[in-house]
Amino acid sequence: MKGIKGGRLGEYLLTILIVVTLNFMLPRAMPGDPFLFLSGEEAGDIVVSYSEEQRQLYLEFYGLNKPVLSQYFAYLSELCRGNLGFSLYYNAPVSSIILNRLGWTVFLVLAAVFFSTLIGAALGSISAWHREKWVDKTLYALMITISEIPAFLLGLILLFGLAAGLKLFPLSGAITHFADYQHLWSKILDILHHSILPITALTIARLGGMYLLSRNSMTTVLAKDYIRTAQAKGLLKKRIIYRHALKNALLPIVTRVFLSIGGLVGGAILVENVFAYPGLGLLMRQSVMYHDYPLIQGIFLVVTILVLLANFTSDLVYKKLDPRVGQLEVAQK
Amino acid sequence: MSRHSIQLLDAKQKITQFTFHEVYQKFISLGHKIWVKIACFFNKFSIPGKAGLIGLSLIFLIALLAPWIAGHSPRVSSGPPLIPPAWPHILGTDELGVDLWAQICYGARVSLLVGISTALLAGLVGGAVGIISGYIGGWVDKIIMRLVDIMIVLPDLPVMIVLAAFFGPSLVNIILVLALFSWVSPARIVRSQVLMLKEQNYIKAAEIYGASPWYLLWKHFLPELLPILVVNMIRLTGRAIVAEASLSFLGLGDPTSRSWGLIIHHATSFKGIYYTDFWKWWLFYPWLFLMLMVVSLAFISRDLERIADPRLGKK
Repeated sequence: MKGIKGGRLGEYLLTILIVVTLNFMLPRAMPGDPFLFLSGEEAGDIVVSYSEEQRQLYLEFYGLNKPVLSQYFAYLSELCRGNLGFSLYYNAPVSSIILNRLGWTVFLVLAAVFFSTLIGAALGSISAWHREKWVDKTLYALMITISEIPAFLLGLILLFGLAAGLKLFPLSGAITHFADYQHLWSKILDILHHSILPITALTIARLGGMYLLSRNSMTTVLAKDYIRTAQAKGLLKKRIIYRHALKNALLPIVTRVFLSIGGLVGGAILVENVFAYPGLGLLMRQSVMYHDYPLIQGIFLVVTILVLLANFTSDLVYKKLDPRVGQLEVAQK
Repeated sequence: MSRHSIQLLDAKQKITQFTFHEVYQKFISLGHKIWVKIACFFNKFSIPGKAGLIGLSLIFLIALLAPWIAGHSPRVSSGPPLIPPAWPHILGTDELGVDLWAQICYGARVSLLVGISTALLAGLVGGAVGIISGYIGGWVDKIIMRLVDIMIVLPDLPVMIVLAAFFGPSLVNIILVLALFSWVSPARIVRSQVLMLKEQNYIKAAEIYGASPWYLLWKHFLPELLPILVVNMIRLTGRAIVAEASLSFLGLGDPTSRSWGLIIHHATSFKGIYYTDFWKWWLFYPWLFLMLMVVSLAFISRDLERIADPRLGKK
C-alpha cells in the first residue's frame, strides 16, 4: 500500500484532473453546434449562416476538426501555460480578467476566516468554561441557530437593515467610484468601509461551526488531569484557559480553518452578489448572464483549484501539528 | 310484508346500527391513538424543534392550499405595480403588478418540491450505493469510496453554477444537479452502518442458516437503516432548498418556476431598489419565508438526529 501522504496527493491530483476534464467536456456535451451558438440566438435572432469554406476555416482555427483526444491534450497544454481562453463579452484573455478580480474574493474569504476563527474560538472557550450555566446555554442556542442560516440570507438582512434602512454603510461595490482620495489612508478606509458588511455576513455564517468545534475541543481538554492540577495550583482562570487549555484545544480548530475556506468560497460567491462586490462571484454571475462560457469555465477552474489547494493544505497542516497522526499511521502499517 | 320478514329487517337494522356504532367507536379510538402518537412524537422535540415543526406545517399548509388562499394569480398582473402591502394585495406587488402573497404561496410548492425530490433521489441512490459498498466490499467499495472522497473535496456551489449554466435552467436539471451533490452523505452513513451490522452475531447466524442477501436486506438491514436514512434525508431537504434558493438568486433557477429565490433575484436585479422603499415588501417577505423554512428544517433535523440516535445525546 502507498503511504497516506502520497495517496492523498494522488487523490487531489486525480480530482483536479477530473475537474479539468469536466471543464473540457461541458461545452462539447452541450446541445447545439458552435456555429449556431456563437452567431444565432444571442446576437438578436439574426442567424448568420457560414459558407462551407468559412466553416472549415473556423474549425481549423479552433482545432475542432482534430480528434477529440488531441483536442484534449491541446487544451491541457494550453492550461499549463496559463491560457484559459478568451472572454467573448469582455474581449480580453480570461486569465487577466480573473487575476484582476481574484484579490477582492481572497480578501473577503481570508478576513472572514480570520474573524470567525478568532471570535468562534473565544466564545467557544467561554462556553466550555461555563459549561451548563446560563452563559453556555444562551451562547449555544444562539450559535446553533446562526450556524444554520446561509450567508447570503444574512447578507441580505444586513444590506437592507444597515445599508438601506439605517444608511450606515454603502449599498454596493468595493470602493467609491470616481473618488478623489487625498491620502492613501482615506482610500484604505473607504475600502474597509465597503467590505465590513460582506465580511460580517460571511463571518457570522461561519461563526457557528467554529464555535461548536472549539467548545467541544475545549471541553475535552478542560476535563484533563493537568487542567485540574493547574486549578489546584491556584493559577488564574485566564492563564489556565489561554496558556494551558487553548494551546491544546487549538489543533482541530487550526485544521478546520483551512477546511472552512472551501465552504466559504461558496458563501463568498453569493455574498458578493448580494453586495455587488467586484470579486470572482460577481464576475461569475455576470458571465452566466452574458453567456460568456470561456469565462465561466475559467472562473470555475480557478475557484475549484484554490479550494482543493486549501483542503490539501489542511491535510498537511493537520499532520504537521499532531504528531500522533503520523505515529498512528506508522503503527497501522 | 310478513311478520317474519319484518323481524328480519329489525334484526338487520340492529346489526347495522351496532356495527356502525362499533365502527364509530373504533374510529374515535383509532383517532385518539393516532393523536396520542402524534402528541408523543411532538413531545420528544425540544422547544426549538416544536417551533420548527409548527413553522414547517404552516409552510406545508400554504403550499397545499395555494389555489384557495392565494387570492390572485402568481403569474399575471393583478394590480398596479409596486404597491405596498394593503388589502387586496396583503404583501404588496412586484414590478409587474403581480401579487407577492400569491407568488409566495406557489413558491412554497417549488421549494418543497425541489427539496423533497432531491432528498428522495439522493437518499435512494446514496442509500443503495452505501449498501452495495458496505455489503459487497472489495474493489467495488474502494472505487466508490474514492468517488466519495472526490465529491467531498469538490466545492459544490461553483460546480452547480457551471452545470446549471451549461445545461440550462429547468426544475428537473436543478433537482438532478442538487442530487448529484447530495448522495454522498447518505452513502457514507449507510455504508458505515452496514459495515457495523455485518459483524453482528444475529446477521452472521442468519447467513449461516442460508439467508439470501435479499432476505437479509429486507428483514435485517433496511429496518435498521431506514430511520437513519430518513433523518439524513430531512437534512438534505433543507440543504437542497437553500441550494435551489442560492441558484435562483444568482439567476440560474427555472425562470418559469417562481420560486422564492427567483423573487429575490428579480427584486435585487431591479435597478436602485435600495434607494426606494420597494425592498420593504418585495425583498423582505420572500426572505422571511425562506428563513422560516431553513431554520425550521434545521431545528427539526437536529432534534430528529438526537431522537433517532440516542448515543448522540449521551456523548
